[in-house]
Amino acid sequence: MEKIAVTGIGVVSPSGIGKRQFWANIKSGRSFIKKITRFDASLYPAHIAGQIDDLEKYSHISERLLKKIDAFSHMALVAAELALQDAGIDIKNEDPNLVGIFLGNAIGGWLYAETELRDLYLEGREGVSPYMASAWFPAAPQGQVSIYYGIKGFSKTVVSDRASSLMALGYARKVLAKNKLNMILGGGMEAPVSPYALLCCNTYGALSKNNNDPQAAYRPFDQARSGFVIGEGAGIVVMESIKRAQDRQANILGLISGYGTTCDGVNRINCASDGKELARAIKMALSDAKATVEEIGYISLDGLAVELWDNSEIKALELVFGNNLKKIPVSCPKSMFGNLLGASGALDMIIAFLAMEHNLVPPTLNLDKPAQNNLNYVAKESREYKINKSLIISRGRGGINSVLVVEKA
Amino acid sequence: MDTKTKIKEVLSNLLKVKIEELKDESTLIDSIGVDSTEMVESVIALEKAFGVKLSPKEITKNSTINDIVSNIEGKIAK
Repeated sequence: MEKIAVTGIGVVSPSGIGKRQFWANIKSGRSFIKKITRFDASLYPAHIAGQIDDLEKYSHISERLLKKIDAFSHMALVAAELALQDAGIDIKNEDPNLVGIFLGNAIGGWLYAETELRDLYLEGREGVSPYMASAWFPAAPQGQVSIYYGIKGFSKTVVSDRASSLMALGYARKVLAKNKLNMILGGGMEAPVSPYALLCCNTYGALSKNNNDPQAAYRPFDQARSGFVIGEGAGIVVMESIKRAQDRQANILGLISGYGTTCDGVNRINCASDGKELARAIKMALSDAKATVEEIGYISLDGLAVELWDNSEIKALELVFGNNLKKIPVSCPKSMFGNLLGASGALDMIIAFLAMEHNLVPPTLNLDKPAQNNLNYVAKESREYKINKSLIISRGRGGINSVLVVEKA
Repeated sequence: MDTKTKIKEVLSNLLKVKIEELKDESTLIDSIGVDSTEMVESVIALEKAFGVKLSPKEITKNSTINDIVSNIEGKIAK
């Protein structure tokens, strides 16, 4: 299948808003995990997260619109604007019927929803905002971004737990490769730092409870791992055909060249321990990209910091990469800002593009003593590597495997 | 505060639009591009502010501020 160009990056994350600030923090290995301050979360077993405190400063959204939407739509609107600016695209000059939007989200807009549900029980049905219906559900950001820019082409929101946004990007590439659209805004957004959403994340049982040392809490692949930490934000990129990007003399930031997805299908919560289905997804993505294992110069790990998940991820990589695995630098940069759940894959892909551009692999934080020593972990500090192709792994609850291969333009 | 000023204040605070945008003789759709959900919200807010019952048929996107004033003043007078 045809490779697709990425020509604009928009990122809204605890590590920064806009790709420059984001990359400066990522390459320096700074942690942005802290105690939750938005509300009193002290009684939750896990009450640390990667939060965004200054979104308003970067926002072009009117107050009139803001009161109708949840934070996750707000983040998506800002990320979309940043991506379009970075791509040098004025959407007014596009045929709206040939612009699409493909986003991933796992849990919906609960900051809005839970406030309105509280009002329902306290004040009755007249206390509920009429915007509730259009604010909370996972496809709301797709709708809001579409309305804001007048986008009218084929579009989708993918809801597939933490694998959502990588799946949305894989899906978007397929649609562009079939020449159905001129361009797509692809990525994902998530806003889980709200009382109800945090409760759901806590009951999942995989969050780190190391509340006393937030920056050291998320430690994928480390012997002392204790689960992951959530984060909020959005990552959206502009995708278009290579020809169109070249014709308009756009700066091509990288290419999406392969995608694979499989399901473990063994348990409602857990993944399979053997890594075979993840390995099959990796092979599918490599084959789609016509890439060999020797060509992969960086692997972005899912890194849930849960033994079963980390170990099965390593098993899958061993099955596919064999003896080459030791040579390839691997890391899990989300350890710096939290796992953005349905938006995590989009952020990982953005980091992979920036890593390839700067020939620098960003680190996994807190990986002091690897539980298994069979990978070329980049820990603590960034390390220079010349990377031409990267592999990104994103996995969802119950073993949804999603893998993307990206490369330099 | 007269009824017109109060109506404008309620709508301006609710919909986050400037008071100057709410023209006496223009319809809500023409002046501020109000949508159907904003109308639902506006009717509820005006009911609360004036202690009257309003039906969504009485106050619509095509009502002007002057229409809303005479409707509400008529109800208060009864």
